[in-house]
Amino acid sequence: MQSINKNNNVQNISRIYALSKRNVILRYKNSFVGFLWGFIKPLLFLMIFTVIFADNSGINNYTLYVTSGLILWFFFSNATSQSVGSIVGSAGLLKSLNIPSFFFPLSEVLGELFNLLLTMIVFLLLMNWAGMVYSPRLLLIVPCALIFAVFIYGLNLLLSSINVFFRDISIIWGTIQPAMFFLTPIAYPESNIREKYRAIIEMNPIYSFIKLGRNIFYSTEVPDWHQWSSCMLIAVVMFLIGQFVFNRLKNQFISAI
Amino acid sequence: MNKEAIIKVEGVSVSFWQNNVGVYSLKDLITKRKSPFKSKTILNNINVEVFRGQSLGIVGRNGSGKSTLLRTIAGIIKPQKGTITVNGTFAPILAIGAGLELELTGYENISMLLALYGTKNSQGNSIEKISEFSELTDEVLAMPVKQYSSGMVARLAFSISLANDSDILIIDEVLAVGDQGFQAKCMEKIYEIKRQGKTILFVSHFPDDVLKICETAILLENGRITHAGDAKEICNNYKKLF
Ligand SMILES: Nc1ncnc2c1ncn2[C@@H]1O[C@H](COP(=O)(O)OP(=O)(O)OP(=O)(O)O)[C@@H](O)[C@H]1O
Ligand SMILES: [Mg+2]
Repeated sequence: MQSINKNNNVQNISRIYALSKRNVILRYKNSFVGFLWGFIKPLLFLMIFTVIFADNSGINNYTLYVTSGLILWFFFSNATSQSVGSIVGSAGLLKSLNIPSFFFPLSEVLGELFNLLLTMIVFLLLMNWAGMVYSPRLLLIVPCALIFAVFIYGLNLLLSSINVFFRDISIIWGTIQPAMFFLTPIAYPESNIREKYRAIIEMNPIYSFIKLGRNIFYSTEVPDWHQWSSCMLIAVVMFLIGQFVFNRLKNQFISAI
Repeated sequence: MNKEAIIKVEGVSVSFWQNNVGVYSLKDLITKRKSPFKSKTILNNINVEVFRGQSLGIVGRNGSGKSTLLRTIAGIIKPQKGTITVNGTFAPILAIGAGLELELTGYENISMLLALYGTKNSQGNSIEKISEFSELTDEVLAMPVKQYSSGMVARLAFSISLANDSDILIIDEVLAVGDQGFQAKCMEKIYEIKRQGKTILFVSHFPDDVLKICETAILLENGRITHAGDAKEICNNYKKLF
């Protein structure tokens, strides 16, 4: 119906790139150590957990176990927390330019993928020091991170769109994250959770991804197809839910931001 | 002048949700066809036709729906009723501070917005052109925009917006905050754009400015067009409102 600035693909890709770049710049703006925060945070957690749990966790190579889980957890946690307010925070742009609103949650995920890449470089050195052997198998982390990113994007669509109408979402999200963290076996082995609470792990979609990533870094076997396909399924379902809700709400964003 | 309609607005109505409902409505919001929010009509059965090369002034009291109409025409707001046909490209709406990211510097904003606007003439020199037109010094452009005065913000926004090669320029009372020199310069630029045969939609509370730019105008009252026609006549009608 309208030919507005010929929304062609090339242009949209460069728009998404510009927004992702903005997110990366904004994230480290006015911070002293800049991108180093990306690994100081997991490092701090690693130290705390090592002090508290390492000796009686029953896990061999605890450092590697925790580190591999933490990297993916922080990818998830950063990408979602930044994105909850992404629509609300882009009011100025959304009100002056005909730009698809899903660009904002999407560019948050992409910006965070870039951060993950930077963090990963440092952590690969650390994990090697902790006993991880470099091998081509480690490249499996790339598809793993991408599938996880699809899941996160779907969740971001959901959170960012509902947050437009109920700003409590961003507060709630910040509040429940620590709970989610401790309900996910990252700092302790899966076997610590008693049989009758197993459902907590089985129902926890985030754990599927953490476990997949951890298998790549920590264990010696290649994750099996069952694990890959269940992660893909979870990611696609989350994406579809997010997409559905987002599309229901997007036409009224302008009136509420 | 050949009279080819570039914008055609037919029977357009826009309503917004008034969000004053509790959390329980969340479920309804997503699952039900009917929204649990009460909606308020902002634009009511609007019909406008703008020809290529025409400059249309839009006047009306605060809250009469001018900005909403501009956004609807630009495709930012989807109307509940009616159709809008546009045969051209838009520059981003020029409103105070539109789209500028306060934490980023002037330069960072320029390169981000150029990419977002999809500016056609994005050769290397367009950043220079923008900074030259804005008359902001290098030092200022290296500062985060949050430290700018409102006139500086307007200069930057205006300069970036004008770097665009689009067919339709939309201006939502942005001139008022610039100093006299910059206002004159903007007017000059707007005349130039007019001479190039481009289309301008111009919202202002100053009838004199409207008369300088537009031959025709519309007067909005409570989301309806109550008068349309010759700019001079419309401006008189507008003055009579107060
Ligand atoms: N986000 C919103 N949600 C609900 N109502 C809104 C929203 N934004 C504007 N309105 C209502 O829409 C009407 C028109 O607003 P609009 O901003 O289009 O007015 P305007 O003519 O541009 O006014 P001004 O001269 O002050 O810029 C007003 O009554 C306003 O209360
Ligand atoms: Mg307005």
